[in-house]
Amino acid sequence: MYLDLWNLVGGLIHWLMVDVIGEILNWLHLYGLADWLGSSGVLHILTIIVVGLIILVVGMLVSITLIWQDRKMLGRFMDRVGTQVGPFGLFQNFADALKVLVKEYIIPDAADRLIYPLAPILIIGLSMAMFVTIPYSQGFYMSNSDLSVILTLAILAVVPFAVLMGGWASNNKYTLIGGMRAAAQTCAYEVPLLLSVASVVVLTGSMNFMDIVAFQYENTWLVIPLIIGFIVFLVSIIAEVERVPFDLPEAEAELVEGWQTEYGGMRFGLIMMSQYARSFVGASLIVLLFFGGWHGPFADYIPAGIWFVVKVFLVFILFVWAWAAFPRIRTDQILDLCWKRLLPLAAINLFIAVFFKTMGWF
Amino acid sequence: MLLDTYLPIAIYIVIALAIPVIAFWLNDLFRPTKHTALKGETYECGEAPIGEAQVQFHFQYYMYAIIFVVFDVIAVFLLIWALNFDAFASVSSKIIMLAFFALMLVGAFYALRKEDKIWI
Repeated sequence: MYLDLWNLVGGLIHWLMVDVIGEILNWLHLYGLADWLGSSGVLHILTIIVVGLIILVVGMLVSITLIWQDRKMLGRFMDRVGTQVGPFGLFQNFADALKVLVKEYIIPDAADRLIYPLAPILIIGLSMAMFVTIPYSQGFYMSNSDLSVILTLAILAVVPFAVLMGGWASNNKYTLIGGMRAAAQTCAYEVPLLLSVASVVVLTGSMNFMDIVAFQYENTWLVIPLIIGFIVFLVSIIAEVERVPFDLPEAEAELVEGWQTEYGGMRFGLIMMSQYARSFVGASLIVLLFFGGWHGPFADYIPAGIWFVVKVFLVFILFVWAWAAFPRIRTDQILDLCWKRLLPLAAINLFIAVFFKTMGWF
Repeated sequence: MLLDTYLPIAIYIVIALAIPVIAFWLNDLFRPTKHTALKGETYECGEAPIGEAQVQFHFQYYMYAIIFVVFDVIAVFLLIWALNFDAFASVSSKIIMLAFFALMLVGAFYALRKEDKIWI
């Protein structure tokens, strides 16, 4: 059971543009305009825009819920109650959004005039842009490209570059160190991440999320044969989204607020939110690649999209748990960890995948 | 066909990049502006900032950066190879890539071990 988003929105747009607005325009004797609005190209573009807005809003809502889950669960881990505003503390994020909306925008005098305002736009925009490849179910997706996996990883890899830009442009020692640490971190986690994805691609033979999920539905969840790859991917993706224990770029005990020290108000709030947007993308990558995507029991009663989001929340528990359990590690330690521990593990995992595939077990 | 697949992605990325611009513009309508000289100062925990921050930064992990540049290319080759894994008829095309990858691993570990102090 799933919602066919494209057909639904396409039908709605067709009804609105042809049967409502077209009729009104015909009644006003504007036949040319009515024909143009009813033409297939215009309808197609409008459908894309509306579907895009729906995907964006759904992604942002899930990200906001992840912030709530993070705060509430971290509170429980630390023996606190967590957020309290509204029922179950659900309104805290909206109160925060209202607060940052009325905050002043301060540009430091020493900052770079061109790049300082540009960096947050890049970071936030690219984090939101990652929702484009994530399918929630067979019908609820923005794009169904054969290179979805590689596109997601590509956009994920551009963000640290924007972080380095922002850290450099702020002209502050803390932000500079934070940006450089983000670059160091990219050097560390990128290769194990790509190698563990390569093992998934070897088994499934596709980079399309639909095919990967269908493969897992027919065979088994890939976390079972590729358990080592799953662990490597989990560690790398936590480093990718800059969460504790890998939050060196914004280590608040040493670097004030890291590379975002000089960003205040709305920019700070949205950068904070975009980190959770990336956490959402990371968790959904884990769900899609290793945990069977949107398939679950009781498929006749519970929609596929609900299963997907529930799995994302469950995977996010691992992220919060890591935050609560581990202390922050140093820059040289993350480089050592990724190059001397995760890289051999990822290589072993790739050999296992090739072995399974060659033996014809999958 | 290509347009059908990638036009939504292009339009969506434009929408996503417009979101922060719209949000900052909305922020402009609501926020106060009371600029003072102290507010424009670079933050350095309350002290007067000393010197420039845009210096020639000494990043200490250059050895890792060099290996990374090589290995990232290998990872791209591996992804392409993995995508076509089913299509390889002969065993040798599978073996050659794995041997190549194993050689690269040996090289990387030799490089990491050879440097007495990798952290400069």
